[in-house]
Amino acid sequence: MSHDAAGERPMSATRRLALALLWLALLALLALFVAPRVQLSGDLRKFMPAPQTPAQKLLIDELGEGPGSRLLLLSLSGEAQETLAAQSQALRERLLAARVGVDVPFKLVANGADLGLDAIPPRLRPYRYLLSPTLDTQRFDSDFLRRELDARVQDLGSPAAAMIEPLLPSDPTLETLKLAQAWQPANAPQRLHGVWFDRAGREALLAIETHAAGFDPEGQQAAVDAIHAAFDAVSANTKTKLTLTGPGAFSVEIGGRTAREASLIGTIDSLVFVLLLWIAYRSWKAPLLGGLPLASAGLAGLGAVALAFDGVHGITVAFGFTLIGVVQDYPIHLFSHQRAGVSPWASARALWPTLGAGVASTCIAYATFLVSGVDGLQQLAVFTVVGLATAALATRFLLPALIDPSPRDAADSRWLARCWNALARWPRMNATAACIVAAIAAAVVAFAPGTFWQNDLARLTPVPPAALAQDARLRGELGAPDVRYVIALEARDAEHALQSSERMIAALEGLRAQGVVGGFDLAARYLPSAATQRARQAKLPGDAELRAALHDAMTGGAFNDDAFDDFVRDVAAARVASPLTTADLAGTPLAASTEGLLLQREGHATALVALSNLRDPAAVARVAQAHGAQLLDLKQASESLVAQYRERVLWALALAAVLLAAAVWFALRSPRRVLRVLAPMALTTLLILAVLRGFGVELNLFHLVSLILAAGLGLDYALFFDHAGDDRAEQLRTLHAVIVCSLTTLLVFALLATSSIPVLRAIGGTVALGVAFNFVLALLIVREPVKEIA
Amino acid sequence: MRGSKLLKAPLRLTGEYRRPDADTLVREVRSPYAETTTLRAGEATIERAGQSPRRFSLSRVPELAGLQNSFGALLGGDHATIEAHYRLQADGTRQRWTLTMTPKDAALASKVQAIVLNGRGSELRCIQTRAAGNGDTQRTLLAGAAQEAAKAADAAALVALCEGAPAR
Repeated sequence: MSHDAAGERPMSATRRLALALLWLALLALLALFVAPRVQLSGDLRKFMPAPQTPAQKLLIDELGEGPGSRLLLLSLSGEAQETLAAQSQALRERLLAARVGVDVPFKLVANGADLGLDAIPPRLRPYRYLLSPTLDTQRFDSDFLRRELDARVQDLGSPAAAMIEPLLPSDPTLETLKLAQAWQPANAPQRLHGVWFDRAGREALLAIETHAAGFDPEGQQAAVDAIHAAFDAVSANTKTKLTLTGPGAFSVEIGGRTAREASLIGTIDSLVFVLLLWIAYRSWKAPLLGGLPLASAGLAGLGAVALAFDGVHGITVAFGFTLIGVVQDYPIHLFSHQRAGVSPWASARALWPTLGAGVASTCIAYATFLVSGVDGLQQLAVFTVVGLATAALATRFLLPALIDPSPRDAADSRWLARCWNALARWPRMNATAACIVAAIAAAVVAFAPGTFWQNDLARLTPVPPAALAQDARLRGELGAPDVRYVIALEARDAEHALQSSERMIAALEGLRAQGVVGGFDLAARYLPSAATQRARQAKLPGDAELRAALHDAMTGGAFNDDAFDDFVRDVAAARVASPLTTADLAGTPLAASTEGLLLQREGHATALVALSNLRDPAAVARVAQAHGAQLLDLKQASESLVAQYRERVLWALALAAVLLAAAVWFALRSPRRVLRVLAPMALTTLLILAVLRGFGVELNLFHLVSLILAAGLGLDYALFFDHAGDDRAEQLRTLHAVIVCSLTTLLVFALLATSSIPVLRAIGGTVALGVAFNFVLALLIVREPVKEIA
Repeated sequence: MRGSKLLKAPLRLTGEYRRPDADTLVREVRSPYAETTTLRAGEATIERAGQSPRRFSLSRVPELAGLQNSFGALLGGDHATIEAHYRLQADGTRQRWTLTMTPKDAALASKVQAIVLNGRGSELRCIQTRAAGNGDTQRTLLAGAAQEAAKAADAAALVALCEGAPAR
């Protein structure tokens, strides 16, 4: 930058404004460049450390949050049963019709309608003899066939005749129907008019499995939107009401609420910022110029993250912008110290050691996230460090060219002088008092009742109790799988996983009989292992043997002699077929049922057993263990991940504190000044913790990261008061700057603190408290008495 | 009586239809074996002695759904319900009348060509359900015709009986 020679000459007001607008235009251009490179991802896993335990691995690598978490539960109510049933069918057809498109939001749409024959493509139909358990206990001899054929005669005389007759020639033992029945969920709700209804018969029920994981807000949003669109189409002109619950639906709703609240708060904040700056500097240009470093910081931060990482996480952007909001302070310091007779460049130069020290130490503090080993935190570090540095450099090297060189001197304000005189009467806090306050705060932190840490991620995004109750009710009615517990069985390939899980089926049936679980579902229910299929194959009679048995069974019976030729042909085909594998199922409805429960990776496979209405996890865990499997508690896994995560953040924070102190030491080089500058910040951190703990707030990660933000603010205030020294006019200007800074920040975060979203409340409360404490403590500790050498 | 190309001869079953309440139709077979079918709320339940009941949805068997609607309405004398589901055409004399019901619903029409009711005076004697595809006809003889059917020797005689001829 070669501004120093040219820049010392003040420019005309018009030219300054034109330059400011040029800067704005350049930012807009930069935004156009950065925007397409920013791919927002909502994958929470990027904010998680690497998993270690099997449950954590399953949670992070394979599942997201378990088979239950992809499930959306729907109920249609408010009309007659027949209408609701027809709408349920129409909704299902419409949602599955979306499969033709590129985006397939749904894996499975179940409403109780039979999978029926359509589930099995014709090429796979002979496989019914390998999939159905009939042959496990039965041979196709003449006795069995005669019994079956007698029953079929009765079937032809029954109202079911029309349904059964087309099946009979190839399938006289009705294996097709047995399979269709077996594939229905184990404890499905009652079926009325062909679809599931609740026990009272008032609501048609559907269970929809999405492709997107439960924690993928955009994927879930797309699914929820598709469901609403389809529902609107099928329910036109009726009074039908749609109830939609499930983890995905909740995350969409909470995401929407968070976005609405955050944008409302953001709008109010912008107005407040503009208004405050306008009042403080009595210039409409102040808000414009004050906003430029912030906008530059945001864009530079985003650009840096987009360049350095694959995708920018949504949380990085939201949280990052909150954290770099602090750069609003930089121009404010410049404005407040600018006065007639001093070149803006000189003002900026004079402020730079202080501003630079503050920014550098804060940057160092955030940079410690780079060693956290968590992708999301690293993104946050890059974003904030680049953002803060950009804003500081812009304030130092660009802004002086644009600001009004001779504004009203803040030191001349009579109001400020009165304020200062009042403050001057405050006692200064000495080391003893500070130690006492620190001790009391530490005691509160240590001994306040209540849980210290909050590990339950769900508590950060609370679902309204009414919606939770509705979800629990629908989950109970539908027998939907538990979102918390799942049995996992690891094997070296799909075949071994299927074999092992088949061995567990009997024990699981036992658990269901005892009422320990309401139901279970596993891939082997749809696709037996190749070993089992071969065993059944071996029991199929040879062609001549079957013909003889069939002839024997049909002698004297009601059926025509050639009625079952197709049966003989299908059995012959089944005898030589190679066992069905998951690959053969691709494209059939069975694939959807199996692939969520049988996870295949290179050289590794995991079979899952989804459980519903689990009443005794310990009993299930014992059964799982006895079969070489494991009952995973996904809630516990996610909590342990959070705890592990926090440990890393705490280490990063400790490192940040040391580096921050070192940076300040390097800048000030006087033990006494260093102590004085760091004391308000350290004391504030203790006081914030004491207040939060005192009010029974459980601390989470957002509190921790907000503490750094508060510490950064405190450091700035203290550095500037320290910089003002004992000169009254400088002290007044600094007071002016710090009052404007702290007011804008306080208002922003106090608003956040009133939010109904716990994440926003955690950030807002922590930082608002931090601003208040830091401001007061900086005055009490750092400010020097006028004209006295401290 | 029901015919099928798989069978050597049409099946002959006797029993009773009951309508315990407005939404339920019970079909009870007494001979040659015992079987009870309950049609209710779009679902059919078939029970046989010594077997667990089988349930299936009427939506898979539209002719059954049609049967339940129309038969229930017939037994209950609910003219409006019948007209909502079928086009009606009456023929014959009071002593030997025919009411042909052609389904309006496309799903039902694809399975059932027509349901023909034969009667004598105030007596409904026979319900013939003509399948759409193969023309198989299922005949349910009722009231007087059912009693006379016990004496009928062969299928042809039953058909004649159904269509209103006096017993031979």
